[in-house]
Amino acid sequence: MSQPELNDEELLQRAGRRDMRAFEQLYDKLAPRLHGLLRQMLHDEREAEDVLQDSFVHLWDRAPAFDPARSKAFTWVVMIVRHKAIDRMRMLGRRNRLVESAALEHSALGGDSPDSADADLETSERAAAVREALRELPKDQRQLIEFAFLKGLTHHVIAESLNLPLGTVKTHIRRGLLRLRDLLKGGD
Amino acid sequence: MDERQEELAALNALHMLEGDEQRALDGACVSDKELRALNNELEQVALELARLITPVEPPADMKKRIRAKIRSRGGPGAFGVSRGVILGTAGWALAAGLAVASVWLWNERSKLIEQHASAVRAIAAAIPASSPAEEKKEARSLEDELKSIRADYEKKQAALNAEIESLRKRETEAQTRITQLTAETEALKKQDAEAQLQIAKLQSKVWEYRRSEMSIVWDGRRGQGVIMLEKMPLAEPGTDYQLWVVDPGKPDPVSAGVITVDDKGSAKTVFKTVVPVGESSAKFALSVENKGGVPKNKGPIVFIGP
Repeated sequence: MSQPELNDEELLQRAGRRDMRAFEQLYDKLAPRLHGLLRQMLHDEREAEDVLQDSFVHLWDRAPAFDPARSKAFTWVVMIVRHKAIDRMRMLGRRNRLVESAALEHSALGGDSPDSADADLETSERAAAVREALRELPKDQRQLIEFAFLKGLTHHVIAESLNLPLGTVKTHIRRGLLRLRDLLKGGD
Repeated sequence: MDERQEELAALNALHMLEGDEQRALDGACVSDKELRALNNELEQVALELARLITPVEPPADMKKRIRAKIRSRGGPGAFGVSRGVILGTAGWALAAGLAVASVWLWNERSKLIEQHASAVRAIAAAIPASSPAEEKKEARSLEDELKSIRADYEKKQAALNAEIESLRKRETEAQTRITQLTAETEALKKQDAEAQLQIAKLQSKVWEYRRSEMSIVWDGRRGQGVIMLEKMPLAEPGTDYQLWVVDPGKPDPVSAGVITVDDKGSAKTVFKTVVPVGESSAKFALSVENKGGVPKNKGPIVFIGP
């Protein structure tokens, strides 16, 4: 018997109640995007797979602690995966330097159009809203935020890698994220 | 909230902080509700960016690997606790640890049996819906998964068995040590009890009693003792010898009773003070008092010491 269509929050809560099928459904929905994120952050297919596996095992352990009143399931899962990736970068000594193969031109968030992977309308609408809000930012701020998000580096390393003053990096990130927040809230 | 704190919250949202800056923000968030809210809000916004990542399909067997890993771990938390208990030094703690480990092992075994039964049921359920080739493939896949779980389990079991064996050895050693220590404690207690006894042999400075001897063995803890007198002159009619314990903590000597000397001038008797005296070193005195003894020393003291 197939499981009824559930949103990410419901799936994660069911996983928290030890429902392996719900957990696997959540995996099917989120793993490809998370795998894409890990490949961008780690620049190594094996490391990306390894961290993806660790993240989902950790996710299974932590699922009972998920609180839908505090965050969306998607952002909660991404947070866990990013922390795992940053831990791995630290372990590999990559947190404080830019991997040679990681260039700025490879660091843009993808897709000009809604992705076919977003099967449900809600996910696809949210992605469109984020995409639209990001486009509204000045180019410098947008590029810096995308670079920071995809590389998982400290602001010192980013300033050095991009040959920018540290103050500029901090200001662009602050202004860009505050603006992004306002835009996603529906402000102008 | 100032601009600098806003900046830290924004950098934190993208996980760009480390060291002192991270600690500064965490510390400020504890006391500043507004900053804490902004920090959470910006982090949620930043994490939303992942929606724009181009998806890349993970390897086909990744889901199976994750499932196998989750199932194979069983109850590591329980084991962690038992190990902490087991490594205690006392014998009882070792025994308790052994018991917990055994329970955990038993649970692991039960889980494996249950997983095996589920897998068998899953195979059975799949049979009518699939083609023979698919059934075979699915069955093989489940069998591989089971083998992997079993191998993991057996590895853990072997490690646990080795640990239990080592703990048993330690428990035996601990028990031997406890026996030795108990014996040593008993011996020390005995020595201590003996050390409470005060033995004194006194000579008199009074001319008539120059040849007389008085020996005392005094157990201060019990407040009783034994007195032995030799070569004592017979008490004058209407008088008796009376023994006194001089307790430094009391203003007057405490009576330990009348001592009757036989025709040969000897006496050997157990005495006890009329009121309790301190356990610290006492002095003893023998005086000549009115017949039958007196509550407070009045007559001449013929012996005193040590």
